[in-house]
Amino acid sequence: MRSGLYETTNAEIVDIILESPMIRSYVVVPEGPIEFATGQFVELTLPGVGEAPFTPSSSPADSYKMELTIMKAGRVTGILHECEKGEKVSIRGPYGNGYPVDDFVGKEVYIIGGGVGLAPIRSLFLTLIERIGDFKSVVCRFGARTPNDFIYKNALHGPWKQMDGVDIKLTVDQGDGDWRGNVGVVTTICKKDDVDVENAVAVICGPPIMMKFATRSMLNFGFKDTQIYLSMEKNMSCGFGKCGHCMIGKYYVCKDGPVFTYDQIKRYRNIWD
Amino acid sequence: MRNIQTQREDRKRFFIDGLRPFLGAVAESRMLYVPKKVGDRYTFTAYDPSGAAQSEINNIRAFTTVKEFLFPLRERVAAFPRRGEANRAKPFAILGLKDCDLRSMAVLDQVFLEEDFHDPFYEQRRKNMFVIASDCFDPAASCCCTLFGGGPFAHSGFDLNLSQTKDGFVVEIGSDEGTRFVEDHAGLFAEASKAQIAEQTENRSQMRQRLETLNAPYEVGTPVNELLAQSGDTDAFDIEEQKCVECQACTRICPTCHCFYLYETVRKDYFAKMKMWDSCMRMAYAAVAGGANPRKVLGDRIRHRLMHKFSFFFDRYGIGMCIGCGRCIDGDTHGMDIRVVLKKLDAEREGSKRAGVAS
Repeated sequence: MRSGLYETTNAEIVDIILESPMIRSYVVVPEGPIEFATGQFVELTLPGVGEAPFTPSSSPADSYKMELTIMKAGRVTGILHECEKGEKVSIRGPYGNGYPVDDFVGKEVYIIGGGVGLAPIRSLFLTLIERIGDFKSVVCRFGARTPNDFIYKNALHGPWKQMDGVDIKLTVDQGDGDWRGNVGVVTTICKKDDVDVENAVAVICGPPIMMKFATRSMLNFGFKDTQIYLSMEKNMSCGFGKCGHCMIGKYYVCKDGPVFTYDQIKRYRNIWD
Repeated sequence: MRNIQTQREDRKRFFIDGLRPFLGAVAESRMLYVPKKVGDRYTFTAYDPSGAAQSEINNIRAFTTVKEFLFPLRERVAAFPRRGEANRAKPFAILGLKDCDLRSMAVLDQVFLEEDFHDPFYEQRRKNMFVIASDCFDPAASCCCTLFGGGPFAHSGFDLNLSQTKDGFVVEIGSDEGTRFVEDHAGLFAEASKAQIAEQTENRSQMRQRLETLNAPYEVGTPVNELLAQSGDTDAFDIEEQKCVECQACTRICPTCHCFYLYETVRKDYFAKMKMWDSCMRMAYAAVAGGANPRKVLGDRIRHRLMHKFSFFFDRYGIGMCIGCGRCIDGDTHGMDIRVVLKKLDAEREGSKRAGVAS
């Protein structure tokens, strides 16, 4: 039994990285180590202000600090964007199931990400490349609104691309003068010939509309419902399957998710809204 | 089933001829809440040991739910910086809880005492609670417990149970704490006579009969969890939407609804994390900061509430979440009645079964 179900661990923001106009990464050091699995999330509290759920974008290998990549989207994240280094925050969690990385062994991991959805994917990516030999390959198809809206720009344009066993392609909805890559939504860089569907899993994380079309695309490629892993963004408040806000059908996204196979949730209404 | 029956028959029964001395004894070592009639309904109030206010047993469940005692409307669950516990629960007793109330606690127990995530505040109150249940002897028109596996008297879940008779109360013991209480106050209790027990049994069976007759028109042909599981796409919920005025009374008054929301607030010299009741009927309930909202349409919120109540909860915990107390029927302002909705779904299902056979 956990005595302090609602208690948080004090933490401090030690660094802030400007990723894009609307997105920043916060390097947070908790008072004591917080162990988490990739894809699990934490509740970050700004004392007296509010709390919100975020999936760490850093590798679970380091439990002494975690990185949270946060888009300015609402009240709490708006105030977070005004915070500076040294700000005291607190953390609850981790919560949820995370990515079943061991189930991906031997397979091609086909990752489709968009916008701030690259945050959980970065954590997954860092986890995968630590044991890259265990997987057939890691294929990434990432999209952003404009070149400047990509987060983790340095890694994406540099070191990640050069890794063995990794294949990364990027696209933007709207190019700028310097952009020489693909222009179009993320599904325009997903090609059926890129992937050995029989021996692959698809991992999708991004804005709801992108997840909807990416899922449709993967189904067209021949992926089974059970091979498509979705990181669902819902209103996770308590984190332990009680408060009810994040429910999709019978599932509590905070406890049974946030990672679901399409098979688990396809029968429920409005999953993309 | 047989075992439970035998156990019940074998259970030793006692008799008290009045409430005053009994309640005085209960109130010696704990806070006691007793039923109080307000208009034609009951609520609970602190027991007045002076005896100036006459205590009576409620003929029907109180309008107030037992969840208010265990899961208060609002409470502090954490503070920054940390400080002492906000409200350590003290021993308390409630007189006049009915079978439906006890079954509502069994539902809340599933949620708040769940194996891996105990709610420490709920647990403390639950452990400090002394339950004095009583039989129903004048159910309301909205009482529909017999449709949901309940009835006019409790089999378990109480410390003591009182059954009113012509000249007193037959007392049953339902827990070790109940046994201890009776032993410690042996002078108050006589052994119930055969005639008194016969009267209790007769009252109970009459009451059950009355409830079953009352609810016969609402019987459905399929277990409700299966009925709802098969009704995800019905438009019946969208039709109910036209009646619902979104007052959220149904979720507040429901003894098993347990949605809450956590929020941060500023106190004079600390920050507090608060937990407060919420309602899945609220428009922005499931919305995320980015603006997406899977249940912005009212009909979808009604669908989710009833699917959760009758199907999702059963899938998770193996018991039904609706205990048939009828409070939502009484509380509704515009004629939304779960008995009627279920009946409609049942008719739809029977209709589609027949259509299936015909084709």
